[in-house]
Amino acid sequence: MLLAQIFAVAIFVVMFVLVVTEKIERQYTTLGCGLLTLVLVHGVGLRSLPAMFETLNVRSIFTVSFWYAGAAGEEASSGINWSTIIFIAGMMIMVEGMAKAGFFRWLCMNLAKLVHYKPIPLFLAFMVMSAILAMFIDSITVILFLAAVTVELAHLLRFNPIPMIISEIFCANLGGSATMCGDPPNIILGTSLGYSFADFLTNTGVLAGIALILVVIYFFLVYRKDLKQEEGFVLDPSTLPDPKESITNKKDFAFSCVIFGCAMILLITHAQTGLTVAFIGVLVSVLTLLVAGKDSWNLIKKIDYKTLLFFIGLFVVVGGLEQTGILEIIAEFIGKVSGGNLMLMVGIIIWVSAIASAFIDNIPFVATMIPVIKSLAAMEGVDLEVLSWTLAMGTDIGGSATPIGASANVVGTSVSAKSGHPISWATYCKGAAPATFIVILVSMICIFVRYC
Amino acid sequence: MEKQIIVSIGREFGSGGHEIATKIAEYFNIPMYDRNILEAIADEKGIDADTLHKYDEQPKKHVISRTVRGFSNSIEQNIVEMQFDYLRRKARSGESFVVVGRCSEIVLQEHPNLVSIFVLGEPHHKTERVMRIYHLTEEEAQQKMARHDKSRKAYHNQYSKYHWGDSRNYDICINSTTLGVDKTAEYLEKFIKAKFDLD
Repeated sequence: MLLAQIFAVAIFVVMFVLVVTEKIERQYTTLGCGLLTLVLVHGVGLRSLPAMFETLNVRSIFTVSFWYAGAAGEEASSGINWSTIIFIAGMMIMVEGMAKAGFFRWLCMNLAKLVHYKPIPLFLAFMVMSAILAMFIDSITVILFLAAVTVELAHLLRFNPIPMIISEIFCANLGGSATMCGDPPNIILGTSLGYSFADFLTNTGVLAGIALILVVIYFFLVYRKDLKQEEGFVLDPSTLPDPKESITNKKDFAFSCVIFGCAMILLITHAQTGLTVAFIGVLVSVLTLLVAGKDSWNLIKKIDYKTLLFFIGLFVVVGGLEQTGILEIIAEFIGKVSGGNLMLMVGIIIWVSAIASAFIDNIPFVATMIPVIKSLAAMEGVDLEVLSWTLAMGTDIGGSATPIGASANVVGTSVSAKSGHPISWATYCKGAAPATFIVILVSMICIFVRYC
Repeated sequence: MEKQIIVSIGREFGSGGHEIATKIAEYFNIPMYDRNILEAIADEKGIDADTLHKYDEQPKKHVISRTVRGFSNSIEQNIVEMQFDYLRRKARSGESFVVVGRCSEIVLQEHPNLVSIFVLGEPHHKTERVMRIYHLTEEEAQQKMARHDKSRKAYHNQYSKYHWGDSRNYDICINSTTLGVDKTAEYLEKFIKAKFDLD
């Protein structure tokens, strides 16, 4: 076992360093390290073919419970989390279909029109919209469109788009924390531990709702002076874009709205219907492809397969750590440090995960931490759900603190820079880091009050 | 000029590469692009060029940068991409120009009308020149040269499989100390004319 443990830790460390330094594209890193895990950890170290198959977890896809779990919820599994992969792939296709039809731009422009193109109301409305959209759609897509529209409106209305983009990024991450499908760490957490959409909404969703009120007030107080329009600027209504022009194809637009509506309803009710997120992912993608007709191949080509491969390799490497018992050792350590005190455990998990997520990709972090909190809950006899919500808030929100903490931050700051509005680390952190601190602190207090 | 020519000039700090580029551009009566690319980009985007200038020809800082689906938070990287895109557009438009640095010999390497040049110089000659132009002491001049060359090298090597100043990467590498700035420029003008069969 010792040899397998050494291999598992060494591979994990190498993978982490390579992912952070980006010397090699991250999907090649995790796949390469995943292959090494299978050969060295399972083959040479553990000499266990069943452990290897358990990590690959392909068999799970061919079980009924993978697609239909019944009202009891989905079955938890270890190794490659195929539910996450299939769900994310399905949602990617649906979102591409919506984007192609002009849905996001139409939504942003309509909202801008609704608030009469006034910077402060626009700022507040876009923050809330960012959070709401990110509850159902990946935050990268939300920010990609919102930041682009923000820059366009900032040029037209003559204000600085940077404060608005930073606030939108923060709210997208916050909105993502509210639901099971909002942020990849939540999808992994939900599918690994068998939580439903409603479980997230009634736990992290409540925390995110409280936090959203606070951050909207915070960002308004911090940025209200920066959003002033240039002196003497008079808006020429003829320069304003018509929201309807955003729609590229009315039929596709109507269908994409219906499919998105179906996806939301199915996700909200999946604990009642028994349909798993993998099933929902496949269903919405098939519907989108059917509607797209001849263009379906173009939508398939737009799937971010690199991210999906990254996930697959990552799950194998973390599976190696899990099966060699390394993660139990970490859990034991946290248990010892906290002395079995739930409040201390919550404090450690939320702050460590927040700080770690601020600087490293939160997906490998959460994938690693799930088996840790599982062991911790079993060893210390504490409620796994409490630790899960704590981990979700720590990783989802912690990532907002720096420009590299979460994918939405990277995309948002990049869109801003490409439009000629570079956002430095200092500018970003000055606005987002205090907001992250406030939300993590408030979340911790709420968790203490509600669960401990 | 009827035939399109694109002259890419890489240079060591203090070698006079920029001055040589200016002379070549004047000789052929074509525009020269250097830091002014950012001004053109800023004009296009309706923003202040000063915001962009401090990131010009700076290497990406790996530890504080991340890339997601082709998007990078690195300001340096985004500005580099804007400059590369600008150069490619100019090259596609059929315009003749001289470009200083900006990894242009890599960015435009597929272009048939490109001539790539690297200008180097002897340390004592470069030091003397930097002291004279910037009114610095010998030590200050050497520090400035080392700092700029280190940054240019790091910037260049991020985007090229060949190292900065590696002769395999250029049509010609020339030591400006040998002939001096003026004669090096004249020599290179002849070289360019010969390459493109210009009268």
